[in-house]
Amino acid sequence: MQALETSHTRLIIAAALFCLAFLAIGARLVEVAGFKAGETRLARLRAVEKPEAARADILDRNGVLLATTLDMPSLYANPKLIRDPERVAQKLASLLPDVGESEIAAKLASDKSFVWIKRPLTPSQEFAVNRLGVPGLQFEAEGHRVYPKGSLAAHVVGYVDRDGKGLAGIERGFDEILRDRHEPVELSLDVRVQYILRDEIARQIAEFNAAGGMGIVMDVNTGEILAMASLPDFDPNAPGGARDDAIFNRATLGIYEMGSTFKIFNTAMALETRTATLASSYDATKPIQIDRFTIHDDHPQRRWLTVPEIFEYSSNIGSARMALEAGTERQKDFLGRLGLLKAPGFELSEIGAPLVPSPWRQINTMTVAFGHGISVSPLQMATAVSAVVNGGVLHHASLIKRPAGYAPSGQQVLSARTSEEMRRLLRLVVERGTGKLANAPGYLVGGKTGTAEKVAAGRYEKHGLLSSFIGVFPITEPRFLVMVSIDEPQGNKESHGFATGGWAAAPAVGRVVQRMAPLVGIQPVDEESPEIRRSLMVDSLSPQGRTIAAN
Amino acid sequence: MMRLSTLLWALLVGASGYAMFQVKYEVLQLEDQLTRLTRQIGAGQEQIRVFGAEWSFLNQPARLEQLAKRHLALGPIGTQQIGRIEQLPRRSPMPPAAVAAAAPSSASSHLTAAPRLAHAEGVAAP
Repeated sequence: MQALETSHTRLIIAAALFCLAFLAIGARLVEVAGFKAGETRLARLRAVEKPEAARADILDRNGVLLATTLDMPSLYANPKLIRDPERVAQKLASLLPDVGESEIAAKLASDKSFVWIKRPLTPSQEFAVNRLGVPGLQFEAEGHRVYPKGSLAAHVVGYVDRDGKGLAGIERGFDEILRDRHEPVELSLDVRVQYILRDEIARQIAEFNAAGGMGIVMDVNTGEILAMASLPDFDPNAPGGARDDAIFNRATLGIYEMGSTFKIFNTAMALETRTATLASSYDATKPIQIDRFTIHDDHPQRRWLTVPEIFEYSSNIGSARMALEAGTERQKDFLGRLGLLKAPGFELSEIGAPLVPSPWRQINTMTVAFGHGISVSPLQMATAVSAVVNGGVLHHASLIKRPAGYAPSGQQVLSARTSEEMRRLLRLVVERGTGKLANAPGYLVGGKTGTAEKVAAGRYEKHGLLSSFIGVFPITEPRFLVMVSIDEPQGNKESHGFATGGWAAAPAVGRVVQRMAPLVGIQPVDEESPEIRRSLMVDSLSPQGRTIAAN
Repeated sequence: MMRLSTLLWALLVGASGYAMFQVKYEVLQLEDQLTRLTRQIGAGQEQIRVFGAEWSFLNQPARLEQLAKRHLALGPIGTQQIGRIEQLPRRSPMPPAAVAAAAPSSASSHLTAAPRLAHAEGVAAP
């Protein structure tokens, strides 16, 4: 009796458990079938099988696509399955004009079981190869890097090898980031400004039958680079065919004796260290003889010149005397603060280290004053000149777009007062001096010309010139720096045979300013308005006395 | 009594079995659909990338310049084409009748002024 009762109880418990289980299953069934609960959530769980994420895109500052990855079919073959390699090779060669028949035949005759025939194929080529119906030919969709803007920003964007590894430019500098992070990389470049810069440099190269050229447009208040060009350039979609000369980034990797544009730093140094004021004057009556060198002027005035006049006429003699008075130590210290004596940190790996005099003798001090005997990259020039004009703050050059509301942090390397004086002097050069052709009416361009004789086999060559112009606008409150250098320009009829910075580079800067200013939102001003005249006034223009008194 | 409950249970078992298969096939179908959709989304995204690349390619500044030269009578903006709001003359006060009469012409002058201002202000500062 006892046993019967126990088994009865157990039976009831077991039945109750089963009932519960069935009820639970039933409830769940009703829930799933009747109410479609959690469908979206389940779908999300299942949808994780996304395709393997591709290398990230590269965009310009306005979101314009500069580099992207597209799936494109690549053709490979299994030679073991191909019976008649000769005939297949002949057919393939007729469909794929850029691959040689003998090359294909050799590949198909090999005893491997996998050979690439062509990476990548165009859709029509894929169709045609498919129609051949040859067994043993296979396609594989591969991510392939595409540069829709072609050569426009080739040196900045760079290129990749066949396996998608960055070999130059941002592709190399940001290789890991592009591979791992799948957000696009936004550059500081503005494709429109880039086009304008490249276009104007190309025009000067053509007009002056030059070997090449480079240029930079920089935001002087943040160090962002809006445009950077180096010509000749190449198509990153097919970098294999490019000459070394075209791959070479002259703007960052090339180092050059920049010539008179260095007088910007020499003058700023003298004003900053108070070894000279705008009213000081120096003897430029005759060339300086030192050792076996002679320092002479290209636009000789043969008299004492004030600091503004030395700058305006680009007097080498005066500049050398200014540097001598300040001394080697001050010069070295000042150039060092502007970042001109060591390679800058930058997003590209194509960075040239400057060539500085060692030992730094008195003769070096004199030649460095006018930009000889020291070689720096155009990038360093642009960075340093930006600091001189923007109130004295050095910002590292950058190719990456600063986020909105970014407060630029920089190093104060010279006083706001010196910077202000330098702006007046730079305007003087464009208004009356060697840089008149860089003028862009309404946009108040200030700048400095530079013409350096290039060193070949240890000697300066009279006809191998590097002609530059570094311009800043609007000079009253600088926003952008535009630098253009033309490599080995030849004088022409329009330039009366001259190929100096004022003729070969300055016009390009003027035109770049004129074309880009409306794009970047800079209002033209009336250059003759009294406020502007007053803010740009330079007193003590002649040693005879101050010509301009406050009226 | 016993028979009735057996019948009920049998019915329940039958119903739940049916529902089970129903749900199973529904799930299979949904999975198919999901795979298809995922593939379509992938293809769509790839298509978007291709179109994006093509858009960028077709918008090469050199090409746009060529096209603009060929088809449009537009050129780069000169400094004299850019103005400020303050430079606009103040509208002269007019009697109501004259306002009504001048309304179309003032509207059109407003229209011509608008793009000019857009040039000055609509350009994005970097």
